[in-house]
Amino acid sequence: MSVAGLALHPFSTPKTLDEALALLAERSARAEKTVLLAGGTDWFVERHVAPAEEAGVLPLVVDVSRLDALRGIAVEGETLHIGAAATYLEIRKDARVAARCPLLAATARDVGALQIQARGTLGGNLASGSPAADGVAALAALDATLLLRSIRGARRVPLAGFYTGYRRSVLAADELIEAIEIALPPEGSPFAWRKVGTRQAQAISKVAFAGLAVVASGRLARLGLGMASVAPTVALLPATRALGLSKPLGEVTDADVEQAVLADVSPIDDVRSTAAYRRHVAVRLAQRFFGELRAL
Amino acid sequence: MSMETNITLTVNGSVVTLEAPPAARLLDVLRERLGLTGTKEGCGEGECGACTVLLDGVPVNACLVAFGQCDGREVTTVEGLGSTAHLTPLQEAMVTEGGAQCGICTPGMLLSAEALLREEPRPTEPQIREAIAGNICRCTGYQRIVNAVNEAARRREARS
Ligand SMILES: Cc1cc2nc3c(=O)[nH]c(=O)nc-3n(C[C@H](O)[C@H](O)[C@H](O)COP(=O)(O)OP(=O)(O)OC[C@H]3O[C@@H](n4cnc5c(N)ncnc54)[C@H](O)[C@@H]3O)c2cc1C
Ligand code: FES
Ligand code: FES
Repeated sequence: MSVAGLALHPFSTPKTLDEALALLAERSARAEKTVLLAGGTDWFVERHVAPAEEAGVLPLVVDVSRLDALRGIAVEGETLHIGAAATYLEIRKDARVAARCPLLAATARDVGALQIQARGTLGGNLASGSPAADGVAALAALDATLLLRSIRGARRVPLAGFYTGYRRSVLAADELIEAIEIALPPEGSPFAWRKVGTRQAQAISKVAFAGLAVVASGRLARLGLGMASVAPTVALLPATRALGLSKPLGEVTDADVEQAVLADVSPIDDVRSTAAYRRHVAVRLAQRFFGELRAL
Repeated sequence: MSMETNITLTVNGSVVTLEAPPAARLLDVLRERLGLTGTKEGCGEGECGACTVLLDGVPVNACLVAFGQCDGREVTTVEGLGSTAHLTPLQEAMVTEGGAQCGICTPGMLLSAEALLREEPRPTEPQIREAIAGNICRCTGYQRIVNAVNEAARRREARS
């Protein structure tokens, strides 16, 4: 590629969130395409693989990476609030995230390599909607709520209700993801973050697993699970969650977990792995997490 | 909303105002408009790290940054490290430890390692390996690069 390569894309740098929302509203009303550019770690790769010039489509690129309203990380009461354009590097370096939400810190440390973490964002991870998205798997286990905003106003959508299918979501054409909200578990709550792939850095995982639990007198008071690359969207494993919450931990057997996980996942063969291997790993990862919880 | 925009940024310590398409990749603007060809293109997809530059001191892949996102920011390329006559301790150590063979990965490797040493003057081996995990090298097998970063840390400490 050269300067000429992406040069044709019109580009805009709104100074405020309101300006960005007005632009989105105007363009969606005229059925014109807009791309919000955050870290660019998905968008530039897509453009490299399939240059828009060849497709004849030239959306307006709107830089949201430096909008203050999308950037901060804050703890308000028992809620962790992460701006959609906060980077993985900011997340992994944040002392409050490390103390109160170590699962998310662990995931942020495992996305790509440092150069990707310095640019990549949860907003981009969510909006791209890849079934292999690590950040989304962690947010699934944390039962995150997404704060969506347009000039029509704001709405909160639980992650469980965000995706409608493979790379499809309820996000409207005039809407953006402003922030992610997480109801913080008690400090020290057990969690799991496992990424199974070919190489630790950069490689997209064959399977990634996030788990979070709150245990009280031998039972689970809260259980969140998220798994990447085992279904058309990041999987929330509802049957496995229901199993975990249904009886005392000591009574949840490996066979129960296997049956529930197999009901929850529908992996495919692709360039990174096979459906059979993914099913096997998915079961083992969940069994190991339950084993860790039983051993507490 | 425009095809060419004036953007002011600091490159290797000098303030420059440049008219270029804001959607262009920082990588291409550096190489084609500023003649800074030390920054290499390997994959163009964020995987190899050959295009690594520092943006406000942090390593990023210049193939994934829009020029329009650099307004008011500070970019450091390999040309902004030492000159041939005055190599930095890290560059010296790369030479003496044999951390470069074909050299295509070297500029990016140097910037990732430089950022690490600025933040962590005495890095551990796992920290070094994590810092360069986004920089692929097909020649050295990495160990000599790790040795070079270790040696650079020692030389920097000795100098200060
Ligand atoms: C080498 C490499 C390694 C990677 N490794 C991993 C990995 O290990 N795990 C992983 O999960 N991903 C990985 N990725 C993918 C990518 O880095 C992540 O998905 C990242 O979170 C994308 O965020 P971004 O800000 O860069 O998105 P961008 O590329 O800026 O945007 C992606 C999409 O999201 C939309 N968007 C961005 N922000 C918003 C918003 N606030 N509201 C609405 N829409 C928005 C954009 O319009 C665009 O369509 C990797 C990518 C590369 C190149
Ligand atoms: S060219 Fe940018 S990472 Fe390979
Ligand atoms: S020296 Fe050849 S790729 Fe690293």
